[in-house]
Amino acid sequence: MTVAPAIPTPPPSSLTETVTALQRRFGPAALRRGGDVVSSTAWATGMPAIDGLVAAGGLPCGRLSVLLAGNRGVSGRLTLLQALAAVASRSMQVAYVDLVGTLDPGFLADLGADLDACLVVRPDQLAPGPGLAMARALVRAGVPWLGIAMAPIRRSSAAAMEHAVSALAGAVEGSRAIACVSAPAPLAAPLAYASSLTVECASLGWQEAHGDVVGLRVGMRTLKSKVGAPSGEASLLLRYPRPQAMGEVVGFPAVVGHAGGDLAGLVAPAVAVAG
Amino acid sequence: MSRILIARFAHLGLIAAWRRHPELRNEPVVVGGEPVLRLPVLAASAAAEAAGVRPGQPLRQAQQLCPAAVFVALDGGMTERLRAAALDALCAEAPAVELGDAQACCDISGRHVRHRTEAAWAAAVARALTAALGGEAPSVGVAGSRFVAWTAAGKSAPRHIRRVPPGEEAAFLAPLPIGLLPVDGVVLARLSALGLDCLGAVAGLHPADLQRQFGDDGLVAHRYARGEDDVPVTPESAPRTLAERLILDGPVADREAIRFCARRVCDSLGDRLRRRGLVAERLDLVLECDAGTAATASRVPPVAAGSAEELWPVVLGLLGAAEPVAPVTALRLEASRLGAARGRQVDLWRRGDAARDAVARTVARLGDRFGAQTVLRPRLALDPGDIPERRFSWIPGSAAAEPVPVGSQR
Repeated sequence: MTVAPAIPTPPPSSLTETVTALQRRFGPAALRRGGDVVSSTAWATGMPAIDGLVAAGGLPCGRLSVLLAGNRGVSGRLTLLQALAAVASRSMQVAYVDLVGTLDPGFLADLGADLDACLVVRPDQLAPGPGLAMARALVRAGVPWLGIAMAPIRRSSAAAMEHAVSALAGAVEGSRAIACVSAPAPLAAPLAYASSLTVECASLGWQEAHGDVVGLRVGMRTLKSKVGAPSGEASLLLRYPRPQAMGEVVGFPAVVGHAGGDLAGLVAPAVAVAG
Repeated sequence: MSRILIARFAHLGLIAAWRRHPELRNEPVVVGGEPVLRLPVLAASAAAEAAGVRPGQPLRQAQQLCPAAVFVALDGGMTERLRAAALDALCAEAPAVELGDAQACCDISGRHVRHRTEAAWAAAVARALTAALGGEAPSVGVAGSRFVAWTAAGKSAPRHIRRVPPGEEAAFLAPLPIGLLPVDGVVLARLSALGLDCLGAVAGLHPADLQRQFGDDGLVAHRYARGEDDVPVTPESAPRTLAERLILDGPVADREAIRFCARRVCDSLGDRLRRRGLVAERLDLVLECDAGTAATASRVPPVAAGSAEELWPVVLGLLGAAEPVAPVTALRLEASRLGAARGRQVDLWRRGDAARDAVARTVARLGDRFGAQTVLRPRLALDPGDIPERRFSWIPGSAAAEPVPVGSQR
């Protein structure tokens, strides 16, 4: 009969005390056991392509999610962010921090947004520091959905943004808000670190009908997920909304998607709910 | 089931006189002025009342009844301060308060979140009133109707509470003399002549018999004798403005010091608003300067403010807007357009709707700090024309958005 050698282990009480002390000092997210289940609820966007990308079934609550441009030029991330904001505004108050300066509320309305529920933040000279500070204040006040359209960040200002991003992540975690950031490539280091879900968006080509561009085909890939196992790739068709005439009732955004498949079945005209 | 608390205490003018002249505490005191004046007695101490002095009598008659009495004029300022303190204290404890010169009436129907029993609630009200009156303990009565509570308070002693359990009002009143009934003296005299010497005897009669004899007065007497009067508590009307003024030790030019003083004023005003259950829809800040000038700023908060926490973001904006040209010597913060603080039904189907007011305040604060054009709400234009840029317009983000039910078509 052989006896396995005893593995010297520290007393469990001292380890627990140390972990508790570190969490008390640096925050509960600073140190976790590998086996601890990170509880995270998700907000289902209603778009299967996005909801199927993560096991949680949607954008995580209390975390930063990043839509990252996968290539230079058109990627569809801003249109997707505005489509998500439009969907969210139908059921909650939305804050949209426009650090790019390209938001068109008319386009947002065409996507079906409830403009009364939308707050648009445009800091002076589109400076990211004040923009993130305002976003943090709004989230702390109780805004449940936050969208941030980030512009390219210079390498010199990335370090200065670190505090703003980490503070925003803390505020989002404290208020259990849904925060979605649209960022160009390359992703700034503070944002890459604070992100819990990073999805890369890349253009797969224009969708044309009768010689006109009616939408954009977007391929999506999960680069980072701290809220569940990623489920590979997905692709969706962002159908540009038809400008609505006055008095016409707009409906939900005409975004159709499909997780993990090709676009063969998506070329068919999407159904735009109207009237 | 209605429950009324009535606290009877010495006349506020008498308490003010005692504060100014403590040596008159046990002396016969008559409040109203000098006896040579053709004025009525406003209040009399227990010693003066024992000599026959009653409120409403001419002062000269009071002097004849009680030659040893000390006659003092009414101290209006002190009386008003006592009234305000008593009202603040009572409003903090009871939802509806009616305050008179010598009695307070509170509606304590239902349950209070802090006080488990009615007796504990009544004791808290009595303690608050005693503290506000500077130690003058009231006699308190609690009953299902106002007349019974008033009678119970009269039968109680100072620092004591007399409770009449629900349904026992008539039994409590039955042995008491009919002179307590608030009806015409002629009716009382005829009731006595009929041999009715107590309220129980009046309550035992059929109301139709009393109506035949005394008309409507008979019905009123019967209702009171059974403890069934339904006179409600009429809450005090809200003041039009509340203001706090802080005089600084000397001229102050440091913005941080002014901010610190403004916080003190804000805390004090917010506390007064909260205790009275009021909210302010407009705030004015006046910075009185050394040169005799004043810098003023006013603002309408996006959501009516009713506490120091809600006032402070607005006051910060006012401090930024007011630009004193000289060192500041005093601050004055005034809350106007006061109204009762009411709750709001939260849209349960709209996520985060409970934080709508907090978001509006934050947006206003961000507008003050970063500029009015930083947080905006888009609005679709009614007549956009052909130019895409005219399809929408921007309005300040602090403008209140209409609450729209989820799922409604726009």
